[in-house]
Amino acid sequence: MKSTLGCAPCSSELAHPRRYSAKVRPLVDIFRCVTPAVVFGAACLFAGCSGPAPEPAAAQPAPQSAASKPAPEQAAAATPYQLVASIREVMNSVIDPNIDVVWNAVRTVIDHGKSIEYAPANDEEWAAARRSAVTVIEGANLLMMPGRSVAPAGAGSLSPGVELAPEEVRALIDSNRAGWNQFARSLQDRVKVALAAIDKKDKDALFEAGDGIDEVCEACHQVYWYPGPAATGPKR
Amino acid sequence: MKMKTFLGVLVLGAFGAAKPGFAHHAFAAEYDATEPLTLTGVVVTVDWSNPHSYIHLDTKEKNGEVKHWMIEIAAPSQLLRHGLRKVDFTDGMTATVKAYQAKTDPTLANGRLLELKDGRSFYIGSVGGPNDGAETQAHPFLQ
Repeated sequence: MKSTLGCAPCSSELAHPRRYSAKVRPLVDIFRCVTPAVVFGAACLFAGCSGPAPEPAAAQPAPQSAASKPAPEQAAAATPYQLVASIREVMNSVIDPNIDVVWNAVRTVIDHGKSIEYAPANDEEWAAARRSAVTVIEGANLLMMPGRSVAPAGAGSLSPGVELAPEEVRALIDSNRAGWNQFARSLQDRVKVALAAIDKKDKDALFEAGDGIDEVCEACHQVYWYPGPAATGPKR
Repeated sequence: MKMKTFLGVLVLGAFGAAKPGFAHHAFAAEYDATEPLTLTGVVVTVDWSNPHSYIHLDTKEKNGEVKHWMIEIAAPSQLLRHGLRKVDFTDGMTATVKAYQAKTDPTLANGRLLELKDGRSFYIGSVGGPNDGAETQAHPFLQ
């Protein structure tokens, strides 16, 4: 499928060895096109700094001119929520453990050739899966909230050279906030499919929905978390 | 009945504990693309699950000891697209898996190609793996 973006390096099938669906592929196209420029720009910016770039404070309000700066009470009224955790912490504490519950709700273990099917077996187990699905859907809203830091202050890449540093992730998000939000909205849409399956107690539909969720997770991660090219393995 | 439930919890807990803590990660963060492995052994269990499936393979070491490998492979939908089905895993079957060694866990690997004794082979690589041509080496149908 040819990209509609007209970006030559990104428009060939070779740019999509990971076979995204038609819905996800345009998002990946956009970020494959802009990522090198943004990362290069971020690298230049940070190379010019004498020390490590400070993490944006989680609850730091957007910069405003002195004339328009509201009183603290007004600012609190404008954004009544309080940003405490970073995106990394939201992912680790809210999204990841709960999407694992949704994924693991339906699975098969083939033990010595014998298939053992696991699926919610009663109302309580379906309710547990539902709670986690709702948590992920609403948790995606947390990811979209402006002003949230990427990682705790002072934290670096969890895997330097493979996964981006928080400043680089920040630069990517800031370069296209709408794209970031679109990935989060896609996550919500995919988990809503799982939620519908849960409400119908349809284990097959829930299992299929899990695949769609994985696709959008991986697509977002390859744009914002570890966008480098796939490693070339040794010839065997 | 209570004992049966208790055993069920134990078994489920064991399988649950066997899965890595993080659902997603960059391939290069966890696996070493310069450390290819060819593992031949008995397929004990297969966890057919999202977002990754796992093959648990027992191989025999040179000293005669059995080594239990956990091999991360693709999600079920991707495995199906490449022709691999749940019924292809039979009791006591031996198989060869081409894989990459994990950087820290000596019993963990990332599978690329599954070769069965009947001559069929399947691409089992998960998203984000190295461009090593494993997909083109698969022959999912009997010759």
